[in-house]
Amino acid sequence: MVTSRRDFLKQAGWTVLGGGLMASFVELPASKAHASSGDRTHLYAYVVDTHKCIGCGKCGEACRAENKVPDEFYRTWIERYTIYADGHVDVDSPHGGEKGATPIKKAHIDRSFFVPKLCNHCKEPNCVQVCPVGATYVSRQGVVLVDEKHCVGCGYCIQACPYGARFINPKTHVADKCTWCYHRVLKGLKPACVTVCPVGARQFGKVNDPNDPVGKLIKEARLQVLKPEMGNQPMVFYNGLDKEVR
Amino acid sequence: MNHTSHIIRFAVVLVAVIAGFFILRGFLVPDSFGVQGDYKYGYHRGASDAEQAALPALYTGSKKCAQCHAAETAEWQAGKHAGVECETCHGNWQAHNNNTKDKAGKDSSIEACLLCHGEVEARPADFPQIADMKKHVEDGGGAYEKGMLCVACHSAHSPQQ
Ligand code: HEC
Ligand code: HEC
Ligand code: HEC
Ligand code: HEC
Repeated sequence: MVTSRRDFLKQAGWTVLGGGLMASFVELPASKAHASSGDRTHLYAYVVDTHKCIGCGKCGEACRAENKVPDEFYRTWIERYTIYADGHVDVDSPHGGEKGATPIKKAHIDRSFFVPKLCNHCKEPNCVQVCPVGATYVSRQGVVLVDEKHCVGCGYCIQACPYGARFINPKTHVADKCTWCYHRVLKGLKPACVTVCPVGARQFGKVNDPNDPVGKLIKEARLQVLKPEMGNQPMVFYNGLDKEVR
Repeated sequence: MNHTSHIIRFAVVLVAVIAGFFILRGFLVPDSFGVQGDYKYGYHRGASDAEQAALPALYTGSKKCAQCHAAETAEWQAGKHAGVECETCHGNWQAHNNNTKDKAGKDSSIEACLLCHGEVEARPADFPQIADMKKHVEDGGGAYEKGMLCVACHSAHSPQQ
């Protein structure tokens, strides 16, 4: 069949028109649902002071109770780094550090410290980018959340997270992770782990509030973040990160 | 040549597919689904925020405990454990509230104290740590007995030296 130029242009025209019409149909219902679009703010930040942490594990215990985290899964955990004189590095976290730490009976320890970990609630979260169904998102306050009812449990977000903060909850069969105790912070409480920390190694507050101890720390204490090279811009800041900490 | 009937047939199928798509979509996409917050990371089911915010808070903080345990609170505030919340040692208020008769967790074992005060290499050097109970007791000028508890000498709420 020979197509004349005129026919070709006609068909192309219809195609573009039809395609556009369809696209607009697809867009229409979605755009109606824009309850309120606008800028997302990153209201909160979390500060971990590794110089203060005593590794008692009360934070993990409180997190489990508060958020009904199933056994042997962790929304937050405490890693112990032990660096020997010969440069060898040991990292351990038995039971996520939740049952406390046992002494190490080895000589030649150069330095040793605890590093509590949790979801970093990144400004540019990989996990949200990869979600195929829109079940994980950044709330208006800048908290990264998982919609338990909408998640299909594909596990892409778990692979995308550079910090290993996510897991598939064996009870709900969907992705689960730290929410910074969203239900608490919106009520003006601190996250459960922060509430029970006996030494103030975990702190939570508002970033841009100069009267908030956390806002002040972020401004003045020259804090670091984990894996800055990943470009996720974490909102969990660390004081006293060693070069060996991953 | 007349292609009209082919085109009509095709158009009918196409319209049916498109209509089917929208009908199915209406069922599958939750009501509040859309952009909430910002376009880049805010695309989700809007009702999810409120659902998560509505979960109950189990830990309430020490102010709650003070309502009923004024004596313990006063003692605690004056001592070296004032920076440690009641719920850190006793567990959360909600569990206590649900069975006040059963009493809150009250662990006076050595292990409960050593969870924080046991000597561990990774702990900050300036945090008070006990390496050996026997040595600790004798250093303090006491006589060590087997099965001795830390709370025999120290108040759990207001441990003074
Ligand atoms: C509404 C009042 C109330 C509040 C609030 C309250 N308690 Fe109690 N608590 C009680 C009562 C009543 C008992 C039982 C007292 C008894 O048997 O001597 C009790 C018992 C206890 C006990 C055990 C006492 C024992 O002799 O074994 C502990 C520990 C305790 N509470 C801790 C807490 C903590 C921690 C909080 C804060 C999270 C708290 N309570 C808040 C009323 C309260
Ligand atoms: C460092 C851990 C710790 C903290 C913090 C703590 N408690 Fe206790 N509490 C204990 C222990 C251990 C006992 C058991 C004491 C004993 O057997 O002598 C106890 C006993 C109690 C009892 C029972 C009364 C008694 O004398 O046996 C109450 C009530 C109580 N605590 C309330 C509180 C309240 C209220 C707070 C916060 C203001 C608080 N506790 C903070 C460890 C703690
Ligand atoms: C949740 C962790 C935690 C637990 C459990 C705990 N403590 Fe403490 N304790 C602390 C903190 C934090 C301090 C303050 C340390 C400081 O001032 O640097 C402290 C201080 C003390 C001090 C005073 C130390 C000093 O320098 O004067 C004594 C004594 C003490 N605790 C005894 C106990 C006893 C006895 C128990 C068991 C009933 C206990 N602690 C359980 C966290 C804990
Ligand atoms: C026989 C009584 C006795 C018992 C039992 C006892 N202590 Fe002590 N403890 C003392 C005395 C006395 C001091 C003050 C000693 C000093 O200043 O050198 C002290 C001091 C401390 C300090 C502060 C030490 C420092 O370095 O600042 C801590 C922490 C402590 N005890 C924790 C404990 C814990 C935990 C237990 C249980 C494993 C315990 N004590 C059991 C008598 C006791």
